[in-house]
Amino acid sequence: MTNAVIKTMEVCRYFGEGETLVKAVEQVSITIEPGEFTAIIGPSGSGKSTLLHLVGGLDNPTSGVVELSGTNIANMSGAQISDFRRDHIGFVFQAYNLIPVLSAEENIEYIMLLQGIAGPARRQRVQEMLELVGLNDLGSRRPNQLSGGQQQRVAVARAMASHPDIILADEPTANLDSKTGIALLDVMKDLNETHNMTFVFSTHDEKIMSRASRLIHMEDGAVVHDERR
Amino acid sequence: MLIMKLALRNLFRNTRRTILTVLLIGCSLSALILTDAVLLGMVDVMIESLTKTLSGEAQVHRQGFTDNYDIDLYMPESASIESTLENDPSVAAYASRVISGGMISSSYNVGAGLIYGVDADQERHLSKLAAAIIRGHYLQDSNDILIGEPMAELLEIKLGDRVVITQAEANTGELSQALFRVAGIFKFGVRELDSNIVFIHISQARKILGISQGSHEIAILFHDVSSADLDPTGLLSSLTNDTTEALGWRALNKDIAAMLEMSNYSSLIVGAILFFLASLGVINSMFMSIYERIYEFGVAKAIGTRPFDLFRLIMVEALFLALLSCIFGVLVGALLGEWYATNGIPLGEMEISGIAMNNNIPTVLAWHQFTNFPAYVILLVLTAALYPARFAANIIPTDALHRSL
Repeated sequence: MTNAVIKTMEVCRYFGEGETLVKAVEQVSITIEPGEFTAIIGPSGSGKSTLLHLVGGLDNPTSGVVELSGTNIANMSGAQISDFRRDHIGFVFQAYNLIPVLSAEENIEYIMLLQGIAGPARRQRVQEMLELVGLNDLGSRRPNQLSGGQQQRVAVARAMASHPDIILADEPTANLDSKTGIALLDVMKDLNETHNMTFVFSTHDEKIMSRASRLIHMEDGAVVHDERR
Repeated sequence: MLIMKLALRNLFRNTRRTILTVLLIGCSLSALILTDAVLLGMVDVMIESLTKTLSGEAQVHRQGFTDNYDIDLYMPESASIESTLENDPSVAAYASRVISGGMISSSYNVGAGLIYGVDADQERHLSKLAAAIIRGHYLQDSNDILIGEPMAELLEIKLGDRVVITQAEANTGELSQALFRVAGIFKFGVRELDSNIVFIHISQARKILGISQGSHEIAILFHDVSSADLDPTGLLSSLTNDTTEALGWRALNKDIAAMLEMSNYSSLIVGAILFFLASLGVINSMFMSIYERIYEFGVAKAIGTRPFDLFRLIMVEALFLALLSCIFGVLVGALLGEWYATNGIPLGEMEISGIAMNNNIPTVLAWHQFTNFPAYVILLVLTAALYPARFAANIIPTDALHRSL
């Protein structure tokens, strides 16, 4: 019996066929335990984002098994996998994470609305999440009235709001200046330490690597080094 | 509620595009409302012209009379029918007529036509004969005759001139003649009537035909024209038996009724064309809106938005677009329709299928234009949005996330 948040077994993801076949992910078997602050690193085209999409249920593997909290997500239908992502996975992308016509509060509320949480409970949790990421006073602002770092914090708050098992972050600091990036990472690290939230990053940002408790090195679609600190 | 808010805000992300789309759909709706209002107005004018010029909204004849206007097929008991009509509250006016073919001779020429023997008083309330007189006066003296302008020209006669009517007597077929003095020249504006009919007193017509009582036709006007449609429990049915038949204007003028019926399809055709064009605009607008938001949809799906949720969002946006368009279209349609209902659309004098149209055509606004047509618009916009909505629902998050960054 395992309590791993993520477990992949010989996962492969190929694109194209014949002479144009690209092996984006090749025979990757990894296990992510609860509370880890993991960075998947490697050069561009090494397959780190593809692996992140596979473990996040955004893409289906060509072969192999992807288990999230003990559930094989490889063969789920469109609605099933949507529900699974909504309830078990939080996402933070590189940029443009938020729905531009909704305020910060409404962006956070949106995911709870999808979960069917009642209005008062939603609004209370929105305030809690905004407080968690230090944006209590900016809840009514729309994304275009927030800085890049503030937008990413709202994205983290939204990811946390659904009580996920894990937060997957794809190059979350890529569009931020150094200072803002550090501030965002400090928030995420704090959530990791205080709430035991599991984070997995796809990145080549040194700041993330230095804070990560585990580094998974990828090259040409394969894991070449797995280092726990 | 958040979905509604999201849909409404999404709609006004690109205000110019939304306004243009609303204008496109709304103007199509206004155009359809106006088209239908004009057609209804035209039909009303045609029916009024057809029924109130001379023929009435219904007529009672002896069975078989209208087949070939046989003068022997008159109704000897017409007085009892008149009595029935007199006591029926749905009847606004009626007029008894003796109709026969004959020859009209002047000192210079001879013409053939229908001689209408009419009750001057009854006829004044039923037809436009009195109003159609352009020279002279209405029937007064017993030997007065009213002649259409073209026939007067043919016979080369003027007011006060004498004409002789020659025709066969009923029952015997013997030739009979009578002298009349031209009291008035009329012009209905319908060439068929103006060229072929003369009017004399009904008593004179009976005398020439050698019948003491009865008539060939009783024309009827109702307070409500719908009473003219044959109803098994209505007046016309009660007047129809083995010897007489009472027919509404539709049954008497089958060709024209069919033509008017076809005008209903005109709205349908215009609506289909307008809505087809509008639906292309809707699809285009919705797709542009979706393509601009593909990355956003990718993120939305990644965080757990179901395909159906996205489908529903696009459909709600389409619903708001349709509602805004309907409000605009109904307002413009109602304002223009009301203005033309008061002032009419000037078409000049013309004749369509033997029906004189001398007046401006006032548009007729009806409830179905403001209930059914907007409902069709909403249905159309929602149908047109199905394809874009399905497209949005089927967006693959990984493709979308790679696409727009």
